Amino acid sequence: MTTDNSAPVSGSIMVVGGGISGLTTALEAAEIGYEVFLIEKEASLGGRVSQLKHYFPKLCPPTCGLEINYRRIKDNKNIKVFTMSEVGHVDGTPGDYTVTVKTAPRYVNENCTACGECAKVCETEISNEFNFGMDRRKAAYLPHNMAFPMRYVMDPSMGTDDRDKVKEACKYDAVDFDMEEKTFDLKVGAVVWNTGWQPYDATRIDNLGFGRYQNVITNMMLERMASFNGPTQGKILRPSDDKAPETIAFAQCAGSRDENHLPYCSYICCMASLKHATYLREQYPDAKIYIYYIDLRTPGLKYEKFYAKLKEDENIFFVKGKVAEVTEDAASGNINLVAEDTITGDKVRQTVDMLVLATGMQPTAAIDKPAADLTYDAEGFIINDFSKGGMFAAGCANKPADVVTSNQNATGMALKAIQTLVRR
Amino acid sequence: MTETYLAQPDLEFIARVRGLGGDTLKKCYQCATCSVACPIAPENSPFPRKEMIAASWGLKDRLIKSADIWLCHNCGDCTDLCPRGAAPGDVLAAVRSAAITEYAQPKALAKAVNDPKKLPWLLGIPAIWIAILAYITMAHEDVMTKLFNVFGIAWSHAHDGAEHVIAQADFFSTWFVDLTFVPLAGAVVIIFALTLKRFLTDIHENAVMEGKTDKKNLDYKALLQAMGRVIPRILKHEKFNECETNKERATPHMMVLFSFIGLAIVTGIFFIVLYVFQTPGPYSQLNPVKWLANIAGVALVIGAGLMIKSRLDDKEQVTTYKDWYILGIVFSVGLTGMLTEMARLAHLEWTSYGFYYLHLIAIFNLFAFLPYSKMAHLVYRTTAMAYAEYANRK
Repeated sequence: MTTDNSAPVSGSIMVVGGGISGLTTALEAAEIGYEVFLIEKEASLGGRVSQLKHYFPKLCPPTCGLEINYRRIKDNKNIKVFTMSEVGHVDGTPGDYTVTVKTAPRYVNENCTACGECAKVCETEISNEFNFGMDRRKAAYLPHNMAFPMRYVMDPSMGTDDRDKVKEACKYDAVDFDMEEKTFDLKVGAVVWNTGWQPYDATRIDNLGFGRYQNVITNMMLERMASFNGPTQGKILRPSDDKAPETIAFAQCAGSRDENHLPYCSYICCMASLKHATYLREQYPDAKIYIYYIDLRTPGLKYEKFYAKLKEDENIFFVKGKVAEVTEDAASGNINLVAEDTITGDKVRQTVDMLVLATGMQPTAAIDKPAADLTYDAEGFIINDFSKGGMFAAGCANKPADVVTSNQNATGMALKAIQTLVRR
Repeated sequence: MTETYLAQPDLEFIARVRGLGGDTLKKCYQCATCSVACPIAPENSPFPRKEMIAASWGLKDRLIKSADIWLCHNCGDCTDLCPRGAAPGDVLAAVRSAAITEYAQPKALAKAVNDPKKLPWLLGIPAIWIAILAYITMAHEDVMTKLFNVFGIAWSHAHDGAEHVIAQADFFSTWFVDLTFVPLAGAVVIIFALTLKRFLTDIHENAVMEGKTDKKNLDYKALLQAMGRVIPRILKHEKFNECETNKERATPHMMVLFSFIGLAIVTGIFFIVLYVFQTPGPYSQLNPVKWLANIAGVALVIGAGLMIKSRLDDKEQVTTYKDWYILGIVFSVGLTGMLTEMARLAHLEWTSYGFYYLHLIAIFNLFAFLPYSKMAHLVYRTTAMAYAEYANRK
């Protein structure tokens, strides 16, 4: 047995996606000494987590976790971060991949101090997708206040006038409209796909009225409203009239566990709605909260305790029965919902100020398939083929999961990537 | 607060329902989308969610003794929205089929009607019976004439001396038609009457137990009055028209129902014309009753044809033997009836007789097996709807 198993640090690892699990994979591999290319499609790292107000079950803000990870990235010369970048295609075999990466121009260079002068003078406004289009932002924008890199972005839709103005306003010579899209190849030994998830398109759930009725929102929209860096500065208001909602209903399994939509359980929505109940309770001590569910899935002791605690709240009502019909009272904007309470066996017709759809997660790869030799299940989750090796999926690219599970799985896939390099 | 309830699953019943087109029933996870999706389910204890769990647990009595399974019109809206592909609409159709067999007497006949292997018998026995009677009609006219003369009744209803007129009575005596079908219809009525008594007691008991009615006792007079209010709504297909997914099924169903009513009227009138006024058929095409007969006959063929077509086209909905049997019989009754008439008008005597022979076999199946086939819904659903009206189930 003379095989050298002392982990020769050679070859690089590519991590696709800079959300919480991508950060984990990248850091775990880099801190052992491997060179890591972290590719992020958006202008900032952080992914879905950065859109949250709180993590469950601890109810701490996402800065907790993101900040320390960003610190670790800054301190680690092994990690090369490419934001606004997407993987074109992956060629080669385990241990020897050539990955084509395409980077969109940010029009802002490293000189940027995020002082915000450019945004002040910019007049063009665009829809703010970070807040699911609930507000608008300047075409010169900081992705959000926890952005990494902490740098502005100039949206390509910005007109010539504005371009001149922002250039003039920038005291650091950071704005550069000569930047162009770049395509380049990277040689890596392993690729870990942390491409994450998209909230399921709620407009497709016909009977729940999203997109037709203003006061039907999704759980991720509520998350943004509740966040201090969100469209309402943390105030949960109903969209039609900015009224403080007094009765709020949650429709669990909106599009999940449903053959007509996502056939699987999205894992996080029950805990998310319970967490949202805490947001509402904090802002509106007397608001009545109704959670319509099929089964409440709060796996593990911590989540069970979280649920048990909410059950003690006498203004939170749990109704066992799925919301299946939604209409709107056009004059008031109130939402009428219908469900069958399966405990009493009666139909429940309820009018609420606002209905929150607990929509589930769809793997990003189901919508935007990477051009790589990967195996998917019927729903678009990437199946890890360990016998083939070389490319792995972690986090929600692999299965619906919460942050804890994503991170565990991301750590494991960092190890799998390293093993690919070592055994080459 | 909660009383202990020990479920007694009837595994054989579960298997039977699955076999009758409800094979998806175990997929249900009780989300209750179906009860909301259903446009005709009542507010209090809506269906079909509770039926789905009862079916899954094999609680036979809760299902077959419930009027609710009959309130369902198999719209398919529940099946469409079902997140699990559990197809509550098809499961309830299967449960209804099981309930028909459960209430039917004699059981052996009920089982035979729902068993494709017994179909040759169901067709063969009337075929032989009708063949014998046809043989007697044609070969032993003199014997029969003598026999009838003993009672002072004229045997022949055929046109005397009118050789050129093709009359079905020359092939199969009208006496035989009525001596076969009148007692048969009587037997069916008696069987239904006996069954209905039991059915009503059961559905009332079930409604009281599940809190679906405000009535304590079963008041037959009030129930009959409720029936009077319900029948016009049934004729108008009010409930059926509330359906979304299978909406287009309402029209063919209406055609078939109205054509049966039309044909029943025609049969009644010609029965009187024959026996009271002693005027045998065939009757003139100019006769308004004949118009009704022809319109109804055509409507029957088209209505049943459309039903068969929609069953063939609809890949979502489960169609099993119970459905094909009754659709086949109804379609055959209409088609052979029209073909008999057309062949007669075309002066194709033996062709006409041939179709008439098939027509009689089809009618025999329709009448004799009414309490056992899906056709029994005519009685059960009407009764259940009348009960729901009586019981204030809304």
